[in-house]
Amino acid sequence: MKRRLFCTLTGATAVAGAMSGFSRAARAQDALTQMKANGVLRIGTETAFAPFDFIDPSGKHVGFNLDLFAALGKDLGVKVTYTLLPFEGLLPGLEARRFDLVGGPLTITKARMERYRFLPPVSEGTVALLKRRGDSSITKPADIAGKTVGAGKASAQLAQLRAFTETLPGKTSIREYVGNNEAYADLAAGRIAAVGNSFPNVNYVATQRPQVFEVVTPPFGKKTYFGYLGRKDADSAPLLDVLQAALLKLRADGRLAGLQKTWIGQSIETPEAVTAPEV
Amino acid sequence: MSFDIGLIWSRMPDILGGFGLTLVIWLVGCLAGIALGFLVAVLRRNVAGLNIPLAAWMEVTRGTPFLIQLFLLYFGGPFIGLSLEPITAGLLGFTLYGAAYFSEIFRAGFAAVPRGHIEAGECLGLSQGQIMRRIIVPEMAVLVLPALVNMIVLLLKETAVLSIITVPELTMMISAIGSENFVFVESLFLLALFYWAMVEIAGWLGRQAEVKLASFRPAT
Amino acid sequence: MTWQLFQLLVTAAGLTVFISAVSIMIALVLGTIVSVVTLSPKPAFALAGRTYISFFRGVPLLVQLLLIYNLLPVMGIDLPGIVAAIIGLSLCTAAFQAENLRGAFASLPRGLVEAAEMAGFSAAQILRRVRVPIAFRLALPALANEAIFTLRASSLVSVVGVVELTRTAQDLASSTFLPLQLFAAAGLLYLLLSWTIAALGHVMERRMRWGRV
Repeated sequence: MKRRLFCTLTGATAVAGAMSGFSRAARAQDALTQMKANGVLRIGTETAFAPFDFIDPSGKHVGFNLDLFAALGKDLGVKVTYTLLPFEGLLPGLEARRFDLVGGPLTITKARMERYRFLPPVSEGTVALLKRRGDSSITKPADIAGKTVGAGKASAQLAQLRAFTETLPGKTSIREYVGNNEAYADLAAGRIAAVGNSFPNVNYVATQRPQVFEVVTPPFGKKTYFGYLGRKDADSAPLLDVLQAALLKLRADGRLAGLQKTWIGQSIETPEAVTAPEV
Repeated sequence: MSFDIGLIWSRMPDILGGFGLTLVIWLVGCLAGIALGFLVAVLRRNVAGLNIPLAAWMEVTRGTPFLIQLFLLYFGGPFIGLSLEPITAGLLGFTLYGAAYFSEIFRAGFAAVPRGHIEAGECLGLSQGQIMRRIIVPEMAVLVLPALVNMIVLLLKETAVLSIITVPELTMMISAIGSENFVFVESLFLLALFYWAMVEIAGWLGRQAEVKLASFRPAT
Repeated sequence: MTWQLFQLLVTAAGLTVFISAVSIMIALVLGTIVSVVTLSPKPAFALAGRTYISFFRGVPLLVQLLLIYNLLPVMGIDLPGIVAAIIGLSLCTAAFQAENLRGAFASLPRGLVEAAEMAGFSAAQILRRVRVPIAFRLALPALANEAIFTLRASSLVSVVGVVELTRTAQDLASSTFLPLQLFAAAGLLYLLLSWTIAALGHVMERRMRWGRV
């Protein structure tokens, strides 16, 4: 029996090794050629990221991303298709070539820039805290010291929240959520004292449910930006060049600012190119 | 394969913590589930008024996904004043889920105890309680053992679903390490091997226990 | 909870039914093959069959689904998430069905097979005409139970991007802040579907009375 178990385990490891070798050998058609041939821009995104990407009460997939990608698709003459995954499934899906661009958007970080290519930022993503309305025990970010707070699993907001809580006295515990909506629900239920997410996100949630939530000002995190990202390989480069140009066009003609006003409530100053991130 | 042994090593405390929690939830949940399942089976057999409500409860648990039950308990709970922490909610949900299956196993076991043995007990003048304690339960325990062991082993991997309600068990910990270090597929392989080995070992232990207890099997 | 929300759930349940039904069918065929292979007199075949059953029963479906979803494209096989979901569900269910059928094959009355041999049936004919149909009849309650398991397990496929019943309930629970009602309604729909499968199983059992052994 022991031997059988050993055999199966080594067998599985060998299969795993062979498959990853395969991955290096396999070469798909370049992504731009593929988009043009199929007339489809393939986006992977999550639907738990209001106001950027969410499902409204009538079951429709809506948000900043949808409008922006629709505009991009129109300019490029292609249809946009979405793969809707939990957040932590997005980067694996991108690497597995399930789609060519990750919506989200994601915080532009050093670690991600090393591995992926970001398009120019579409919003600021500085992290702020959301608390229950009227919770007088939290009036500034540092007041979460010693409490339990939440953030999205595998998110940059989580990393920043972790770094921030380490500077605080006492033990502040952080709960990691598969989706942000679950974190908000737990905050409303009183299981956690605050949720860390980007200012646009928590601000939107607070304006949607003003009786329940409130934003803790000022944002505590380092200044960061939100962007869409793709693979860094040569196959994806031509497509990302085209998308970058199209996105800069939206930025130049004011459509980007318009979308920011509609969904985030104000137009947001973003640089024209990705700058060296602080996190 | 780019999986770095050093990375696994440096995160060993997290991995072991997740592994420990998986084991604790599994073992405690199974013990509590067996106790509750047994109680339900006994009540359904002996208290006429309880049979239908308990049957309905079991039916609902066995006819709906574990994930939906967890969501109801964890996200729906606060709306009826039941606000549980993830580990508590996970353990409770897991116990209730397991109890439904265990109770069915016990029910089948009760039905399989030969009628003649019970009658023999009655003839000897044993009370109903004595018959239950001395004849039905011991015989049934031996009869249901294989099914019980099988269920316990199957429930081990069901604990992975608890990661979705943020219980920091093995799946949650290893997939978080994978996400933070961009080693997605590798972390999945590690998880698969981990569970596979655990289930094989648990199955082997279960078979040993069955062999040991098989000598008590009643003659039929 | 409005009628409109309920209708959205019912629509999403359609996808759940589709994925589950296709997976149940594939798993029955695949499970039969695996169980026959496992009972093969050739040790290599038997080992392969047992390893298959052990792996797919031992690894959480959640992990299997993610592996399949993220590995297939890397291997140059580009299938949509829904296909990955069906493959994952089928492979996993097949392992359980194979185990159920293995038990049934093992308990086939020896005399029936011998009678078929005497009547001059070839081994393949005996398998197709005698062993498989009777094993199915014997295993039917277990097979139906497993089909219900597949339906419930399909609640996990949203991790590979399939927006089915559970995921829709989750999305709507977030946007309407009515988790209790939405998850309860989703649970009710699953319950109705489970009952439907159980009822179909009973109908088939009655139809297959001829095979009583």
